[in-house]
Amino acid sequence: MGRDSMSLPGFLLASASRYPGHEVVVQGERRISYELLARKAAAVASFLRSEGIVAAGDRVGLCIENSPEYLLAYFGILAAGGVVVPVSNQATSRGLESVLKDCGTTALITQKSVLKAVSEAIPGLPALKTVIVAGKRDVEDDRSGKAPAAGSIAGRRQYTLAEVGAGNGVDSAMHRAKPDDLAMIIYTSGTTAAPKGVMLTHRNLVANAESIVQYLKLTDADRVMVVLPFYYSYGNSLLTTHVLVGGTLVVETSFMYPNVVLERMVKEHATGFAGVPSTFAILLNRSNIRNCRLPALRYVTQAGGAMSPAHARLLSEVLPGTDIYIMYGQTEATARLTYLDPEDLPRKYGSIGKAIPGVKITLVTEHGTPAASGETGEIVAEGDNIMAGYWNRAEETANVLEGNRLHTGDLARADEEGYLFIVGRNSEMIKSGAHRISPKEIEEVILEIPDIHETAVVGASDEILGEVIHAYVVTKDNRPIDPRAILLHCRNNLPPYKLPKKVHFVASLPKTQSGKVKKHELPRV
Amino acid sequence: MEVKSELRRFIVENFLFGNTESPLGDDDSFMQKGILDSTGILEVVSFIEEKFGIAVDDQDLVPENLDSINNISAFVSRKSGAKV
Repeated sequence: MGRDSMSLPGFLLASASRYPGHEVVVQGERRISYELLARKAAAVASFLRSEGIVAAGDRVGLCIENSPEYLLAYFGILAAGGVVVPVSNQATSRGLESVLKDCGTTALITQKSVLKAVSEAIPGLPALKTVIVAGKRDVEDDRSGKAPAAGSIAGRRQYTLAEVGAGNGVDSAMHRAKPDDLAMIIYTSGTTAAPKGVMLTHRNLVANAESIVQYLKLTDADRVMVVLPFYYSYGNSLLTTHVLVGGTLVVETSFMYPNVVLERMVKEHATGFAGVPSTFAILLNRSNIRNCRLPALRYVTQAGGAMSPAHARLLSEVLPGTDIYIMYGQTEATARLTYLDPEDLPRKYGSIGKAIPGVKITLVTEHGTPAASGETGEIVAEGDNIMAGYWNRAEETANVLEGNRLHTGDLARADEEGYLFIVGRNSEMIKSGAHRISPKEIEEVILEIPDIHETAVVGASDEILGEVIHAYVVTKDNRPIDPRAILLHCRNNLPPYKLPKKVHFVASLPKTQSGKVKKHELPRV
Repeated sequence: MEVKSELRRFIVENFLFGNTESPLGDDDSFMQKGILDSTGILEVVSFIEEKFGIAVDDQDLVPENLDSINNISAFVSRKSGAKV
């Protein structure tokens, strides 16, 4: 591959030229070829550039569920020289506003189901000039060259993605990104209420994709079943790696009915499947997986937590001949930092393995010295995949980045052979299913209810999801209130996965002398 | 009717927190409407197993059986032979 492959649009162009007829994305009965996606993405890019909607470096929101349209918008934005800012399509107006405002997004590509939230968010988004709305079959839509007509939404220009992608784009119109140009800003929950924008360059995304392709041995014959949302770094890594090799993304928008996903895997001859611990817990405990024949399934990957020995053994029994990769990473490292070779799994249960190709991992003790074998230290990582920093947050960037060294905040120890085992986190973040959730954000929403005096939100352990959200609440004068009123307010202001599972009413919260809530003293049950 | 009203009460209480402003239709898809997720549906399954005394097998966990009040009601009736 030539130099073009050193940027994300270059991945698409290179694969479209090598494998024009290969399927890049399959959804239901829809099968989209590399040639079609590349042609349409060039048309989107040409329009965004020529209409002055996107100039190099402009941030563009992308709020679409997993679909061919997501890929069209993604590569269209990048090929126009824009920076993709993915947002959950379950986001409320509040969530949209906080992210899009933070990075001064000038355009947003979204779908109909989100438009109500978008209109509500717009008054708080002075920089946003253009909204482009995706439909259900925009990639295949072939209305030749009809000039897009601008409508309006809450006083901003509005177009449809079908029209925007209908023009004649040419590959040469694609912006040539340089390796250090920003490609994406992915927002993550931290210990602060407002999410932080992780700035990823083309170099970051290219380096991590190449490394993952190498250790998973991905080729153009690979077809991965995607149930993880593309707007998170894990899902995004499935997208970048498969487009790099000319492979296929088989997408489902929901994992609510795992049997439907399994059927798709059988029908589509999926060679790979990616999940988080809860995905595999559900597959093993409540699905038809034992009656499914999946001879094409070459490997599965799990990130977001180690796999318990019991689950790893069960999964090996249920999927004989399928490699199980346990992986670890962070959005700040594009996606991936370590993996455990499947051959090592039976003797290294609970381990996250070793550094991926191109990454160096050091464990650093609290005294700043390298940890000895068996000693606990913070995982510090170096490599081309380490983010450029947090958008507009110099202080928080300086807290985690020391040159190109990323302080992950995760604590681990290494055994005598150098295999890493996570022992804890030094952050309050709640890990529930595939989500990382900031307790602060939920606390702020609960505190908006007039009768609440104070609250502390914690993660309680859960067999399936890893953790679920529990809210401890002190009401004013300990007045009784209906817990449903709290949950309803949360439901109206937070996406479903951020809703507390349980509300505990307490007379007071345990505190330190300086008044800080001692969350570790709250029962996690 | 009883299965439907019991189900509706359970879902409104536990997933909509008593909110009846946007009414839940008997044919509304729990998945499309974003009412339930992959663990929510498992809670509903536990509820119908316990409440209506039926056993839900792993292969029964498909949208045709579970993705709306009407689908569950018909499924419960097939499983139990009960009048609904």
